[in-house]
Amino acid sequence: MSDYADYLATYASVAAIIGVGVLLAAGMLGVNRLFRPTLTTPAKLLTYESGVDPVGAGWAQSNVRYYVYAFLYVVFAVDAVFLFPWAVVFASIGWAAAIEMAVFLGFIAVGLVYAWRKGVLSWT
Amino acid sequence: MSAVSVQAIVGAAPSPIEAPDVDYATISPLLIILGAAVLGVLVEAFVPRAYRFVTQIAVAVVGVVAAFVATVVVGAGLDTVDGEVTGRGGPTAMGSLSVDGPAVVTWAMLLFFGLLGVLLFAERRLDGGLSAFTSQASTPPGSADERHATRLRIEHSEVFPLAMFALGGMMFFASANDLLGMFVALEVLSLPLYLMCGLARRRRLLSQEAAMKYFLLGAFSSAFFLYGIAMVYGYAGSFGLAEISTAVSSQIGGQNLLLAGMALILVGLLFKVAAVPFHAWTPDVYQGAPTPVTAFMAAGTKAAAFVAMLRIFFVAFGGARWDWAPAVWAIAIITMLFGAIASIAQTDVKRMLAYSSIAHAGFLLVGMAGLTSGDGVTSVSAVLFYLVAYGAAAIGAFAVVTLVRDAGGETTHLGRWAGLGKESPVLAVAFTIFLLSFAGIPLTGGFISKWSVFAAAWDGGAWPLVVVGVVASALALFFYIRVVVLLFFAPPQGDGPTVAVPSPLTWSVVAITVAVTIVLGVLPGPLLDLVQQAGAFVR
Amino acid sequence: MTAFWLLAPIMVVAALGVVLSRKAVHSALCLAVVMISLAMMYAMQDAPFLFAVQIIVYTGAIMMLFLFVLMLVGVDKTDSLVETIKGQRLVAIVLGLLFGGVLVTVVAQAFVGPVVGLGEANADGNVHGLAKLLFNRYVFAFEATSALLITAVLGAMVLAHRERLEPRRTQRDLALERMQRYAEHGEHPGNLPTPGVYARHNAVDVPALLPDGSTSEISTSKTLRDRGVVRDGAFAGDVSVTMRRLEADGPERGRVEPPPSTPARHDGEEDL
Repeated sequence: MSDYADYLATYASVAAIIGVGVLLAAGMLGVNRLFRPTLTTPAKLLTYESGVDPVGAGWAQSNVRYYVYAFLYVVFAVDAVFLFPWAVVFASIGWAAAIEMAVFLGFIAVGLVYAWRKGVLSWT
Repeated sequence: MSAVSVQAIVGAAPSPIEAPDVDYATISPLLIILGAAVLGVLVEAFVPRAYRFVTQIAVAVVGVVAAFVATVVVGAGLDTVDGEVTGRGGPTAMGSLSVDGPAVVTWAMLLFFGLLGVLLFAERRLDGGLSAFTSQASTPPGSADERHATRLRIEHSEVFPLAMFALGGMMFFASANDLLGMFVALEVLSLPLYLMCGLARRRRLLSQEAAMKYFLLGAFSSAFFLYGIAMVYGYAGSFGLAEISTAVSSQIGGQNLLLAGMALILVGLLFKVAAVPFHAWTPDVYQGAPTPVTAFMAAGTKAAAFVAMLRIFFVAFGGARWDWAPAVWAIAIITMLFGAIASIAQTDVKRMLAYSSIAHAGFLLVGMAGLTSGDGVTSVSAVLFYLVAYGAAAIGAFAVVTLVRDAGGETTHLGRWAGLGKESPVLAVAFTIFLLSFAGIPLTGGFISKWSVFAAAWDGGAWPLVVVGVVASALALFFYIRVVVLLFFAPPQGDGPTVAVPSPLTWSVVAITVAVTIVLGVLPGPLLDLVQQAGAFVR
Repeated sequence: MTAFWLLAPIMVVAALGVVLSRKAVHSALCLAVVMISLAMMYAMQDAPFLFAVQIIVYTGAIMMLFLFVLMLVGVDKTDSLVETIKGQRLVAIVLGLLFGGVLVTVVAQAFVGPVVGLGEANADGNVHGLAKLLFNRYVFAFEATSALLITAVLGAMVLAHRERLEPRRTQRDLALERMQRYAEHGEHPGNLPTPGVYARHNAVDVPALLPDGSTSEISTSKTLRDRGVVRDGAFAGDVSVTMRRLEADGPERGRVEPPPSTPARHDGEEDL
């Protein structure tokens, strides 16, 4: 079981950084809270809209056309997953690996080219 | 990051990895189809709109024909493998694909269906010079934008690359030699189909609803399939069908894990072949999808999923056949009976064909449950023959559906079909031939295929299934005869159905499928020989 | 194991939150918690690659896609909860529990032995081991994944992207068109009247008053009119209205003091 403990210990630095991050954020907000005067008025809780009272809820339905951007991003985020192990073994496989990845990325790039030609990437 | 953790990720002295060695010639049909799909996307991007539709048709047809030729060449060159049963070919592409006899026959079958599908997709004479697909799927149904797009006569020619991707996925699915590849293939074949289901030009809300239902239930069934794969991996420690087979026959590990994994994989596949109780999506999707897509999907998905199912259960789980066979028996019985009885109550032609497709899944399961191997009619050869005969008749029947129209597009209410025999005798005779083939009347492909699955089941000792199958066939026959009577002898409602004059594309599809249906009934010898020579699955 | 017992309750609670929370956004945030906890589980199981992928792809990309879809939906949409098939929900719950029970039993029975083969698989490091499989044995499945991604792009484009069918109209075209309409139909070419902001009220949901005392329909935004939130002439001081609205929103907006005396700025306006 000592192997396992050793292995987990390699994550100690990660855990420490996360802990420091949480402490830092909580500390700053906490100090703020201690020092600031707390005077709640309803008007202060309103969303600021250039001095005019907001109408309706804060949530607005967005246009479906923006979904395509999100989707293109996801597609490329997914292929980044394959690039990570590929980079690790690239040296030992060599050209074959380069071709494999080129085929994969080429296919996906075709999708991007299609999106570009359909005018998704230009602002209208 | 400390040195320890870097070592944990990258490793100290990694062992070398050899470059994969892939025999490209053997898998060329698959590569050609996927290449045609990618080329289709590029055509979509770069060819001007005026020439796009025609170019897409050319790319798809040339791709399918080239892949078919390549399949024939590959099939002719398969080496014979002698084991306990004769097989041909074997694993290739690092063991990811098994290009054996059944796989090559399935490839040829799928490419044939694909060609017919593309011809139906390309038909533009029926709807005032526009294809069966919506002008702009992103416009709300019935909106001014939609009418504007229709007026400009723009079209979604993306359906051709999508069909090629689906076809490639089907071919991969039928020949994948490990569960991981099967899952990827299942998704590659399903995703384009979900999409194409929602692209009908007429009755768009129905079509979108169909796509949504198909997508949600399909994703759900994929999850079942994946869960099953995970359990089987946990049991056998490998994705490869051969390794799983070894683990199953040596009975290592917990049997419960294997049982649960097999059950979940079976559920995922039964959903795709539309067997009861996993059939609920079928009528809605078949009805809502554009009819050319329904035709392609009914034939192609069923073929690919059945071959994949046989491959998994015969190759990987063959040693545990007494565990899964009872489930297949039960599902075959309820599927046959339900499909036959439910189709009697239908008043819509597309729904009727959907229920008939469910019933046929039951008959195919009978062939699978026979578990017959060796010489003569084997389960694999019977199912392959059945899939060819059923697929051809199904594509033909849906092609006829595209032709019977009124002002609002296709008229699928059965009552409106009364008197079709007077309006267009040729079409009515063609539809009758397809129905008779579905019913399994002698001199049609349906008879020989039913006979072969029943023979395979009988040889394997599954005679109760054969009895139920004959009863279900008789029930279905009653209904099909009623439709035939309606076509020829019932007085037409109002001014009767109108038959649109199609281009040679749809005519040739109807002609080819009629010819195949009759030839398989009269001269089944060559195809029976072919599927029997294909032999068993090679792992 | 300590980490497991720390994470497991968090995950279960968050997973319940996904199913039970009333607002879709809260469900999504709970899902993010589940995903991050799952990533930590992977890290504990000697799978650093999966840990990274879980964070990058799921918590990053997929989660973002979820939130995008939520934004498309609009949160105040409520689904019809009428069951079309009677007793469907009960049957679903019973069958779901049974199914879950079977799976849990099966997995619990199977996983009592010690884990074997992990050291061997991770001999050269986890990522290296994976790459060895991915770029050698499973290279065909890997390449086929790109077909999946391309199909996804095609699908998103076909369903969500509306291609521009005509050249874009410039400001000059629009101005010309407006003057044309004025010439032919006498339609007013200028701006629409502003709402009654500042004249009577401090928000855009009140129509402007015309000289004869009636209200102008076109002075409020069409969106507000369609939503039915435009207020007509008669209302009490809008600050007290805002107060009531805040109180109705419940405690999540923070403690709301009882209304103080109406600010002087508004006093005169109420009389209008």
